[in-house]
Amino acid sequence: MSDHDEPLFDDGDTGRSIASPQPSIAARVRSLVNNQPYAVLCMQGEGQPYGALVAFAFSEDLRRAVFATPVTTRKFRLLSECDRVALVIDNRLNRAGELMEIEAVTATGRSTLVDRDDSFDCWAELLVSKHPNLKSFVNARSCALFLVDIVRFFHVSSFQEVNQWIPTDQS
Amino acid sequence: MDSDRPVVIALSDAGNISETIVGGKATKLAQLASAGFTVPRGFCITTWAYQSFIEDNAITATIRMELGRKPMDDMRWEEIWDVALRIRSLFLTHACAEHLQREIDSALRRLDVSKPLAVRSSSPSEDASGTSFAGLHESILGVKGSKSVQEAVRLVWASLWSDAALLYRRELRLDPAQSRMAVLVQEMVEADRSGVAFGCDPRTGNKDLAIIESVPGPCSLLVDGVTDPDRWELDRRSRKVIAWVAGERAGDTDDEPILAEPDLQAILAALASIEKQFQWTPDMEWCGRSKSLTVLQARPVTTGKPDIDDKRDWYLTLRPGDARLREMRRRVAEVLIPQLEAEGNMLAAAELNGYDDRQLADAIEQRREALERWKKIYWDEFIPFAHGVRRLATYYNDAVQPEDPYEFVALLQNQPLIAIQRNVAIAKLAQEVRLDPVLQNALEDLLQTHSGRLDWKRARDASARTGNESLAKFINGFEEFTDQYLDIAFGQERLYETTESLLRNISELARIDDKPAKAAASSLSPRALEQRLFAAVGGDRYEEARDVIETGRISWKLRDDDNLLVSRLESQLLRALEIGAGRLRASGGLVGDGRPDAKDAESIMDCLRGGSGTVIELHASAIEISKLAPCADTGLTSRQLIGQPASPGIATGSARLVQGSADLGTFRHGEVLICDAIQPTMTHLVPLASAIVERRGGMLIHGAIIARELGIPCVNGVRNAVELFSNGNVVTVDGYLGIVTLGTPEFDLELNR
Repeated sequence: MSDHDEPLFDDGDTGRSIASPQPSIAARVRSLVNNQPYAVLCMQGEGQPYGALVAFAFSEDLRRAVFATPVTTRKFRLLSECDRVALVIDNRLNRAGELMEIEAVTATGRSTLVDRDDSFDCWAELLVSKHPNLKSFVNARSCALFLVDIVRFFHVSSFQEVNQWIPTDQS
Repeated sequence: MDSDRPVVIALSDAGNISETIVGGKATKLAQLASAGFTVPRGFCITTWAYQSFIEDNAITATIRMELGRKPMDDMRWEEIWDVALRIRSLFLTHACAEHLQREIDSALRRLDVSKPLAVRSSSPSEDASGTSFAGLHESILGVKGSKSVQEAVRLVWASLWSDAALLYRRELRLDPAQSRMAVLVQEMVEADRSGVAFGCDPRTGNKDLAIIESVPGPCSLLVDGVTDPDRWELDRRSRKVIAWVAGERAGDTDDEPILAEPDLQAILAALASIEKQFQWTPDMEWCGRSKSLTVLQARPVTTGKPDIDDKRDWYLTLRPGDARLREMRRRVAEVLIPQLEAEGNMLAAAELNGYDDRQLADAIEQRREALERWKKIYWDEFIPFAHGVRRLATYYNDAVQPEDPYEFVALLQNQPLIAIQRNVAIAKLAQEVRLDPVLQNALEDLLQTHSGRLDWKRARDASARTGNESLAKFINGFEEFTDQYLDIAFGQERLYETTESLLRNISELARIDDKPAKAAASSLSPRALEQRLFAAVGGDRYEEARDVIETGRISWKLRDDDNLLVSRLESQLLRALEIGAGRLRASGGLVGDGRPDAKDAESIMDCLRGGSGTVIELHASAIEISKLAPCADTGLTSRQLIGQPASPGIATGSARLVQGSADLGTFRHGEVLICDAIQPTMTHLVPLASAIVERRGGMLIHGAIIARELGIPCVNGVRNAVELFSNGNVVTVDGYLGIVTLGTPEFDLELNR
């Protein structure tokens, strides 16, 4: 997937793209992040990029994403050192000829470790409700929850059509 | 409810419905009923109900996770049993949807609810011709009341993923996305006779014969192996009895067959009719007599000799029913263990140094025979009795339905295992050293000059020289301890000969705080769990619950003790061999400085008896350990290994491999204990370890349970655990998730390039 073309910036207020595709970019982003179970989490450590697959869930307003990782992993260490992350979510089936059908979203933002206070249960519940099979994993004492405060989404479709969307209160 | 996909169907309507919906058992019984056979009344809960249950509760993905944690071909049977237990717990802790509950209640109202019910599996794949497997799935008898029926239905569903079914997963084509289970609920028929019958000889496939087996009472007594049946061989053409063998049953006084001629003829006629109708040779379960014969089940008979390389049938025998388990408990606890202990004591008391060479050769032979005999008993009787703990697990989980399927493990705490008594004695000796700095120093001095077996005389001389009374007292206590507990073998070596190793462990234990064990995995006391179980089963099953707990505890204790007691016998053989080798070495009949073991017994006995005159060569062999990783040539290094989260907690430490008795003394406090399996001979190391990694997997193996009791993280079932690590490797053990991470937890791999 190529995303090196300049994105079509939206107006930032309505969440609607200037290109006004139907359905809206916001709806397409929502559909993609709700329907896809896994994302590539992109991190960095002292200039070295690193990527890992994670199971994720988004808040209803799409402004926050949550995922879990054991504390012994490289992911955990990198996230502890640098909170700038991206999540790549797509609907590839890895079949020849599907290039134009693929949709992908790159969500950028800042990650924070969720303390084991009341909000932990709430975010854990959100993640487990999407991934019931991860219940014992998420609740394990050695498992950490991370929230990503989403700054913007880059939505890519039809191979090279790229839109940026910033979720707002109105969107 | 979707009317195109009914969740409940009357048994009488099931004959024309696909086996994929009602299962083979229900289809065949319905067809038999249509053909005029008497079958118990009942209804069928279809595979659509199963499908809706697993979809409503998102169970498929969790089953996939359980089955995909590790390649199943690499799992030991105990690990597969654990997987099945967790899946069973998953079904138990989710309720049926309300519409299904209503449908079941409505169907129940059409049965005679004063009678107990049988809730039986009716798998679409189990009875298909050519792939007939008996007993892979569960049937629950004597069920009463709507709530109990619903629980039983969920248990039968869960048995689609039973340990037995998972062993035969390929033949059954088990697939979480595709496999389904139907359930048959039937009135139970009271009859004074029941049994099985085969339309051929199932051992040979000879179709000239029919075989009938019968017991007094319900058929479950025969199927579970509780009651020995009477057995008939009949000629199918002449319909005459060729042979009758009476079953051996306690309390049976007369020698008369328990079935009369009309009973046998009615069964033969039923076999012939079933064969004619279905065009396969039947294997039939039945009850009642003559004209009141009721068919409980019919399926194609499976014939042929068992494949001796296929151990799966043997694993299936390791799940005895309650009555057999009680009998095993009596025999193991009251007969075998006392005999084993007495034989070990008797052999240990023998003054072998006073024997002449021939007598010594005889003593070696006697010990070798005893060891072989007890090893056979170990496999035939001790290992099957381990089921006592597994039975406690399922009994507790069925009744209490806890979130944590291993909650019951706390019921096993504080049992007086020999190994625990030994560990308590070690802790006492360590406490003596801890409280006395002078003794501590004296012990360190002693250890610097010793290796192998402690020379008591030199040790006493040292204490006399320094006037150190506490050292003298300690040495006396330690000698008493070694006599009592160390006359055992570990990896073909007598621990009695390496007492210095244990002294080093004691010295190490003395250096650490004598703090109580960290919070154990379960905060509930054994007493609280007992109460929880009694409350769940109710007053009328109180005695039964107590009995299951007691059997579980005895099973847990004796399955540890038996290892130590057999290793005591092995120690006696090694002792006799060492004396024999010593004599032969002195007379020139043996050269080399190696220690003899069981494989040298024949040649040593032969030589002692003045045999061939060939000089025996006995050289010390070095243990060769192949290291699979890190592999410099390929650049491949294991970074994170997956196992079973056997005891919660997380710890990082330096790896220490324990593979033989020589490794015991090198273990230091805070190291991560890496081994093939925690043996009862080495559990005293556990309090020193910061974490444990084992190759052998299972939640109910002793290493896992002791680690849980002491609050030490443990991951087991790690493939190549011993090969992948080297002493000194930094290892992080995550006992919550079952992850073992190799290497320092630093992100430095790319930074140095």
